[in-house]
Amino acid sequence: MNILNKKLLISFTALMLTVVSPASAEKLRVGMECTYAPFNFKTADGVLSGYDVDVSKGVAEILGLELEYVCQKWDGMIPALLANKFDLIIASMSITDKRKKKIDFSGPYRDSVGQMVARKDLGRDLFDSAGKPDPAAFKGIKVGLERATTYSDWFEQTLPSAKVVLYDSNEALYLDLMNGRTDVIMTNPMKAHLKFLSKDGNDGFELAGPVIDDVDYFGVGVGIGLRQGQEELRDNLTGALKTLIKNGSLKEYALKYFPFQIHNDKWAD
Amino acid sequence: MSFDITLILDSLPKMLSGIGLTFQLLILSGVLGLLLAFVLLLMRLTEKWYFSVPAQVFIYVFRGTPILVQIFIIYYGLPQFEAIRESIFWPILREPFGCAILALTLNTGAYVSEILRGAVLAVDRGLLEAGSALGLSRNQRFIYITSPLAIRLGIPPYSNDVISLLKSTALASTITIFDMMGIARTIVAETYAPYEIFISLAIIYMIFTFFIQKGFGYFENFMSRHVKK
Repeated sequence: MNILNKKLLISFTALMLTVVSPASAEKLRVGMECTYAPFNFKTADGVLSGYDVDVSKGVAEILGLELEYVCQKWDGMIPALLANKFDLIIASMSITDKRKKKIDFSGPYRDSVGQMVARKDLGRDLFDSAGKPDPAAFKGIKVGLERATTYSDWFEQTLPSAKVVLYDSNEALYLDLMNGRTDVIMTNPMKAHLKFLSKDGNDGFELAGPVIDDVDYFGVGVGIGLRQGQEELRDNLTGALKTLIKNGSLKEYALKYFPFQIHNDKWAD
Repeated sequence: MSFDITLILDSLPKMLSGIGLTFQLLILSGVLGLLLAFVLLLMRLTEKWYFSVPAQVFIYVFRGTPILVQIFIIYYGLPQFEAIRESIFWPILREPFGCAILALTLNTGAYVSEILRGAVLAVDRGLLEAGSALGLSRNQRFIYITSPLAIRLGIPPYSNDVISLLKSTALASTITIFDMMGIARTIVAETYAPYEIFISLAIIYMIFTFFIQKGFGYFENFMSRHVKK
């Protein structure tokens, strides 16, 4: 704490001395949705918390960074990073080839998977006995997805027979599933469980089919996003994440919200 | 930053494929809104409080709240009630398109009824007195004297409202409708190029507005043909 205060003081005086200096290298702004429980969200008293927030703090401590948080809607996340509204994305963003064309990623710090949630009385077997989705069964089914997510890519390519409806937020997905405007949604199963299925009055819905972890679509996992051309920062972030895996911090963060860890220990190698 | 022309050329046809939906939203809610406005106008012009007070309350509510809030209440709020989901209105309210039309109609109806009332009240009293001196009844005066003059007076503010209705249709994209705005937002979310896409979209809306303006200009000329100097 003392060191941090000292650092704050030093950077503050430095800022005072060079009034028009560019932002000090140690201070980085972090973009996240702030509404994506339990990964990044504000508690009832307005404190930002969650797994992503814990990871960002763990990384900041190792690298001696000072962080400032910026709340940003999901579909504007990458444009905002490119427009220099913040410097890092720590918002449960999966590492994908498509996104890598625009931005860089650190190594992964969380699993990235999807699973469907359906009405129990849907009366159709969406998956065959081997657990593969059956395109014929999806014909005419209304599927709610979040705009520009890995889930919507996966659905368009894998099950084009379904009628996809795109939403702007995760809450809207659940609302319209409850309201009967959609039959099925696909999202992160950890989140669907915490935010929807475990809540009272939602026992008419269930996780449908197996966890889908198609690496081609969902990538190797969730990483920290940053603008391209900052190799040193990227490697430092990856190194810090590996340290967090090795010293058990990452598991500790996960256990606050889930009964299991949500990363792969091999990522530290 | 570079301006990606090929990206614009690629996405223009995609965005234009939503033009039909934007048009449908505009025309349907415009026509229904005008009908609603007319009913509200008649309610307000009667001197009976049980007609005019509800109309005033309606206008106050729909002018006093943001249209985005109205869209969200209708789309996300109403289905929370079991009774609504089981009512005969559910087939309409289940569809985002029905919800958007309903919200836009109610909103534009409230505004337009005030435009119409202003136009009716602006008609010179002397003309109406002359009309009654000639033995025209109240209804005849309204049809033959007030209406043609009020229409002419109402055109400029009404065209204003149609243009703002056109732009309000873009809000329908927030409730999953794939109009031009909805398509643009999805392209932006995929290409991360908000600048190019939204600028092109803005130009499309401006071209649209130009034609609406021109159309109302001709209509105004036509209605004023007797007072030309």
